[in-house]
Amino acid sequence: MSTPAPQAALRVGIIANPASGRDLRRLTANAGLHSSTDKAAVVQRLLGAFGATGIDEVLMPPDMTGIAAAVLKASAGRHARDSHWPRLEFLDMPLRQSVEDTRLAARLLAQRGVSLVAVLGGDGTHKAVAAEVGEIPLLCLSTGTNNAFPELREATGAGLAGGLYASGRIPADIALRRNKRLRVRLPSRGIDEIALVEVAVSPLTFTGARAISRAEDIAEIHAAFAEPHAIGLSSLCGLWNPVSRRSPRGSWLRLSVEADQALLAPLAPGLLQACGIVACGSLEPGVPRRPLLAAGTLALDGEREIEFAASDHPSITLELDGPLSIDVEAALAWAAHQRLLAVAGTTVNHPGEQEDVHAID
Amino acid sequence: MSTLSTERLLHAWRVMRTIRAFEERLHVEFATGEIPGFVHLYAGEEASAAGVMAHLDDEDCIASTHRGHGHCIAKGVDVYGMMAEIYGKKTGVCQGKGGSMHIADLSKGMLGANGIVGAGAPLAAGAALAARLKGNRAVAVAFFGDGGSNEGAVFEAMNLASVWNLPCIFVAENNGYAEATAANWSVACDHIADRAAGFGMPGVTVDGFDFFAVHEAAAAAIERARAGEGPSLIEVKLTRYYGHFEGDAQTYRHPDEVKHYRETRDCLMQFRERTVRAGLLQAAELDAIDAEVEATIEDAVRRAKADPKPSPADLLSDVYVAYP
Repeated sequence: MSTPAPQAALRVGIIANPASGRDLRRLTANAGLHSSTDKAAVVQRLLGAFGATGIDEVLMPPDMTGIAAAVLKASAGRHARDSHWPRLEFLDMPLRQSVEDTRLAARLLAQRGVSLVAVLGGDGTHKAVAAEVGEIPLLCLSTGTNNAFPELREATGAGLAGGLYASGRIPADIALRRNKRLRVRLPSRGIDEIALVEVAVSPLTFTGARAISRAEDIAEIHAAFAEPHAIGLSSLCGLWNPVSRRSPRGSWLRLSVEADQALLAPLAPGLLQACGIVACGSLEPGVPRRPLLAAGTLALDGEREIEFAASDHPSITLELDGPLSIDVEAALAWAAHQRLLAVAGTTVNHPGEQEDVHAID
Repeated sequence: MSTLSTERLLHAWRVMRTIRAFEERLHVEFATGEIPGFVHLYAGEEASAAGVMAHLDDEDCIASTHRGHGHCIAKGVDVYGMMAEIYGKKTGVCQGKGGSMHIADLSKGMLGANGIVGAGAPLAAGAALAARLKGNRAVAVAFFGDGGSNEGAVFEAMNLASVWNLPCIFVAENNGYAEATAANWSVACDHIADRAAGFGMPGVTVDGFDFFAVHEAAAAAIERARAGEGPSLIEVKLTRYYGHFEGDAQTYRHPDEVKHYRETRDCLMQFRERTVRAGLLQAAELDAIDAEVEATIEDAVRRAKADPKPSPADLLSDVYVAYP
């Protein structure tokens, strides 16, 4: 981890997944909605915070659902001017309206040398971005359904933390957190994917509508981290055999409807299911584990993504060198301690109103 | 473990194959000039009709759109009767006086294709009200597109369905274009599913190239409606393989767009590959269905072409309901 070297233009990226937060769990549970209007507002809050922390340029992908359009429209408004928004550039890329758009945008941002990628989405979106950006840190904002990887956080404060890091005013060893990940391999089909929270093995044959909402549809959980307060499949490990984000190991759980003991866990917002627990244990890094089920589906970070047959022999391995992310609390605690957001004079309410935004260093 | 029996999987394949073969044949036949009126082909969208209709029986009603052939076939309307109707022949399901955009078969709960964009939604809401008043478990499904999602009639239907807690499912088949206008140019509130919140009902988005995704979402929505929990909205994202109507030059979209979806996400290709890989179906049984479907379509076209047109005397029949 190193503090980004000063560069001509402070450039960060924003990826807002237009598809997150509107899956089947609005029907099968009490999940809420994150509309594109909400997401555009979150992007605008980030831009305000990036403007206040001296970011020069923000790159973001276009989309088919009006997020980029709403941001572009707002960028010509009074609020954008008064908040000294960074210069905005929309990536020139084709849209397929699938996760490929997120992956391509992440690759393009990495090529353009951004020092940070703010991600608006759920666990799945973060996973897709993390797979493409290497060591570029993520600023994680939850706009999904069952989110364990991105914490629920207001975008303005998160944006300040990200902006202060990207502008070199918070050291990396304070601002950044190294995350774990799970690597999923099916050599027979050339599949090599990652998950950031958990991989669930389901007896369901098809990926279907992706979400898993019933206890009988889960056979095993392999979690990189599992917090007791989590929502979603990792809550099973979190409430039975928890493991923190920083621990050098993970947690696994085997389930069966015929087990002698069961655990009540929130599989989705408002959806508590009693899940029979057969066995649990610790996931050691670098040791591949094979599902006991010969065939079924693998749910990566809560969504069924991979259908496997008896001949596929999937493996799941915990890795400790996952993506970097901004530790918003730690970063802002440092900012407070160093008075990084202090501005000169009483009449100035925005650093952009001073001659040089970096003069406050 | 699949929630679908082999029989139901084979039925889904037969439905989707029939729709594809029906539409591809019409694509060829329409070019000969022999078919009166317009046809709007459903090819590419098969998983939506098959996935939703897998949960319905004849008691359940659907209201369709101008792109209605797929809905009719999936709801069980006779393929020969449809073909004859499209050819304007007396043997058609509406005696040849409706054509492609007015195919209806009340015995199958098919309230009709519809030439007016968004006009099916109030019909479905009415059928749902009837089901509720009768106290049976029937539901109604309104199909409309991204263009239809902007129509006031759809909003009014969604509002009343929610106010009266009707067993009505609104299925927005978002193929990206209202005729030649891209949805992202014309649908304000981005995702059509998000509009459900404005009417106090759940809204979800599903992958319309994936039969199993549509099937699962439709199961949840229909089960909810049958349990008396009210309406919901499903936005099915898909693409149409042909133009808005036959003859549409499609200058509004990149030629590569359809090619990409056909090659990477086609619903039939996916269904076949996944069910065979999972060992649930055999390639040979799917091939056998394909051959039967081809023969059925061939027979329907041959007979429809040879059938008589309605006579002048038929002009005033079925115009008014005869009251006793």
